[in-house]
Amino acid sequence: MDARFDLIVVGAGHAGCEAALAASRMGGRVAVVTLRRATIAQMPCNPAMGGIGKGHLIAEIDALGGVEGWAADRAGLQFKVLNRSRGSAVWGPRAQCDKRRYTTLMRRLLEADRRIMVIEGEAAAVMAGDHGVEGVRLADGRRVTARCVVVTAGTFLRGILHTGGDRRPGGRYGEPPSNGLGESLERLGLELRRFKTGTPPRLRRGSIDFDRVTVQHGDPDPQPFSWRTRAVRNRIVCWVTRTRPVVQEIIRDNLDRSPLFSGVIEGVGPRYCPSIEDKVVRFPHHEEHTVFLEPEELGGESIYVNGLSTSLPADVQEAVIHATLGLERAELLRYGYAVEYDVVAPRQVLHSLEARGIPGLYLAGQLLGTSGYEEAAALGLMAGINAMRSQRNEAPLVLGREEAYIGVLIDDLVVRDHREPYRILTSRAEHRLLLGVDSARERLMGRGVALGLVPERMFHVEQARWERRAEAARVLESKVLRPDRATRARLQETAGIDFTRPATWAQLLRRQDVDPSHLADSIELLDGLGASDRDIVVSRLRYAGYLERHVREIERLRRLGAVEIPHAVIERGVPGLSREVREALRRYRPRTLAEAERLPGVTPAAMAIIAGRLVAHRRRDGTHGPRG
Amino acid sequence: MVFSSASSSGLAGAGETIVAPATAPGRGALAILRVSGDETARAAARACPGLDFSRAWRAQLVDLVGGPGEVIERGIVIPYHGPQSYTGEDMLEVIVHGSAAVTAAVMDAFIAGGCRVAEPGEFTRRAVANGKMDLIQAEGVADIVAAETAWQVRAARAQMEGALSGRIEALRHALTGLLARLEGEIDFAAQGVANPPGELAARRDAIRNQIEALLATAASGERIRDGIRVAIVGVPNAGKSTLFNALLKAERAIVSPHPGTTRDVIEAEAEIGGMAVTLVDTAGLRPGETPVEAEGVRRARMAAAEADLLLAVHPCNHPEDPDLNALIDGRSWIGILSKTDLAAAPASLEAAGWIPVSLKTGEGFERVEAALRKLVAGGLENVEGAAVINRRHRANLEAALDEVTSAPLDEPELGAEALRAALGLLDELIGTVETEDVLDRVFASFCLGK
Repeated sequence: MDARFDLIVVGAGHAGCEAALAASRMGGRVAVVTLRRATIAQMPCNPAMGGIGKGHLIAEIDALGGVEGWAADRAGLQFKVLNRSRGSAVWGPRAQCDKRRYTTLMRRLLEADRRIMVIEGEAAAVMAGDHGVEGVRLADGRRVTARCVVVTAGTFLRGILHTGGDRRPGGRYGEPPSNGLGESLERLGLELRRFKTGTPPRLRRGSIDFDRVTVQHGDPDPQPFSWRTRAVRNRIVCWVTRTRPVVQEIIRDNLDRSPLFSGVIEGVGPRYCPSIEDKVVRFPHHEEHTVFLEPEELGGESIYVNGLSTSLPADVQEAVIHATLGLERAELLRYGYAVEYDVVAPRQVLHSLEARGIPGLYLAGQLLGTSGYEEAAALGLMAGINAMRSQRNEAPLVLGREEAYIGVLIDDLVVRDHREPYRILTSRAEHRLLLGVDSARERLMGRGVALGLVPERMFHVEQARWERRAEAARVLESKVLRPDRATRARLQETAGIDFTRPATWAQLLRRQDVDPSHLADSIELLDGLGASDRDIVVSRLRYAGYLERHVREIERLRRLGAVEIPHAVIERGVPGLSREVREALRRYRPRTLAEAERLPGVTPAAMAIIAGRLVAHRRRDGTHGPRG
Repeated sequence: MVFSSASSSGLAGAGETIVAPATAPGRGALAILRVSGDETARAAARACPGLDFSRAWRAQLVDLVGGPGEVIERGIVIPYHGPQSYTGEDMLEVIVHGSAAVTAAVMDAFIAGGCRVAEPGEFTRRAVANGKMDLIQAEGVADIVAAETAWQVRAARAQMEGALSGRIEALRHALTGLLARLEGEIDFAAQGVANPPGELAARRDAIRNQIEALLATAASGERIRDGIRVAIVGVPNAGKSTLFNALLKAERAIVSPHPGTTRDVIEAEAEIGGMAVTLVDTAGLRPGETPVEAEGVRRARMAAAEADLLLAVHPCNHPEDPDLNALIDGRSWIGILSKTDLAAAPASLEAAGWIPVSLKTGEGFERVEAALRKLVAGGLENVEGAAVINRRHRANLEAALDEVTSAPLDEPELGAEALRAALGLLDELIGTVETEDVLDRVFASFCLGK
């Protein structure tokens, strides 16, 4: 085939789609190699997008110009903001989605894009020469050439599906694995490791006894993920039920038939998304386990059984389902399974997601050891952006840990050594209070505009909204209330609080004995804002006292980031450091002190030695770099 | 900022191989020098070519040479291979005769071999950098070097060996546990993760108790480090200066049969009961007849007020003194009935615990010494594992206690902020995340070669 592509994306899952669309929208010509057109942007596990942490990622992807949030809005069936009663930093928007519609939307998006060509076929090898990547060879012998390749192979590399003793090669339900590609990556010098994940059975809707389960509704005022979406609405309900205590017995009696416990599966699974057999073994005193029933399509028959992920044999899965309230006569459409697959040990990529030492090769998605559609999409987006930037000789876009969850995600993958599938959590962010879903656009939309992925017009629309919030905050900080009888009586009644000295609204809102949402109800000047903007303003006022430390830390990081570490210093070696740190320096070649600080084993004492070395180096060379 | 503080702390180029004497300068039977760094073997090849560096942990008698054929001295050299050494790097210990000239010549030999003179505290700083010890243990090293009393040695040893680090680690563990419960509420709300009512508050209370128990050792720590002041007070001519000299076992104060011999306050250091004690002799309490005497009495009262402990001396042949009684009221004190060789001790005072003594014959003096030893080290026997905190520790622990106390547990994202801050303060103590300023402060207290 001819060489008219800037970029080849291998795989068209959540990572691949974002990579391809971002690159094309930045002006690149993109080839997408996928096994089958019909499986573009599949949701092979739960029929939902977002949640706590994951919802944060969607908001950031959206602000940068990615498409996942928009597609989730369009395919969304039920919308809910988790943690909505808490402060805005930890709100986690989540949507149940119509899987078929989601896939269709994404496929059309790719197909409608004139700069993207979808090629059906199996990528068998990444071709690389002395100067880096040259393209991709397909299993049928075809060759596609480009100077950049983004590999997003998901769970397909040497994938094996397990249901009880039944094990068969496969990347996903009903799809063959990809074996050649993994070997090709190994030949390029990449180290692979084995991970595992799983999915629960699916039930026939008509066979569920809905009188015995509890209905769960979406939010009364459903909010869209994307700035591209005006409004969304709830179209379905979900249900919640629980396993009966006998499930524990059933599972214990059959543990020897679980590939997880019989030792057949060697891959490491995620602790935060355990299978039901995991839960029974680890929490023997929990007599019941919560199970959510979630429709996979609007008007469809398939119900996803959230909470019963398992790789037990088919007959045991039936027994477990039938021992769950309301599912006594449920019919299984598909059994749960575990999938074992190869991932690339993520410390082998740079913060740009380019493989170390293999110019032009970018890795993203589950292949890099993450779990979840949102993590995959975030990595795909960044890989697509950075692949394009490298072709234009522009510096890669690397988001800081203080700037975005995407920054936390990539930094964690690149710097720390993860031994289980990585899921984003808000507790992974040091600067959680600054990284709320509510501030994603303020933080990142400007970047999206600069990349050419977000129209400037939309930025100005959003900006006006931020200014309204800022103005409200200014008034709350400055307007002083006098504790006259009428005001006291009013606040006593509406918010159940008293005050005896003149105070600003902000001061009252920060009081520990105040329920901020109650008090906000009685502040008229907030009435002009929508409910969520109002709560955002109030949350941020309450956070203000906690932010000083973060501001100082961010300032410090900024200064460290400005101090470059010359290559010569690392090549000559920095004696006086522990062996672990010396090894980390040689291996990761940090470009700045800020990068060095995040390497494994680097203590402040080690930082002092490295900084000291830089001073000595400069003195010797007679040059003066930036000083903080 | 890391950059400027690292350069100002004089640790520039900390990667090089360093040399310094480990013993005090001046004349002694032996002097010890230490060498540490990656180029230790090369420096040894130059300064002591007879050494077989591969034979680690073996004392070897070799020539130390300044230049070709120029033997400075024969000495014992022990090579150490990192990471099993004090600093975690390759090291030498060089033992030579303790003359300043020899030490200087050997230093020069190693400098010619590529070493540079170590900064104060640099050996220990490298040990911390290489994970051989944490910051609190490093402080223990500085303390043990500076220790002058038995209790200072005991506390420093305990700290060096990790008694305090262990308690901070336990506290860290408890804090992390509470933080994990808050984080769980935030991140796993969808799965219905919630803490049982009272669970968070109970854990918080336990953590506060742990911090408060550590803070309670601050007073003991300060007493051990700074010592205590003991003032001798009483009417003129009661024998205060005689007692002062007897306790010091030296004729430090002038003693005469004339009342009012001591006019000013006299201080002297002593080790009593394993503690550093500043003994203070004062002028006798009486209405001043001259301005000088009046000033002496004023100073005596001031010395009494500043002291941690009073030795009240009252002669048996003298009527009870309301002035003295007022002075010791509400204070920590030992009563001494002096001059039992001249008159019988009043039974009422003896019954109240006053100790009859004849400083002339020495009768009863041992009882005074025993009582003093007991009071000076009083309460310290309860210091668990001899883990006591210093001012740096106290500042961070107090700040951590504030954070933990004020953490709003019902707003998990804010509660977590406070607990993360508290954890940061503990990490700073141990030295896992502390800023350069702290490191510099800690290591500034080291003298050369430690």
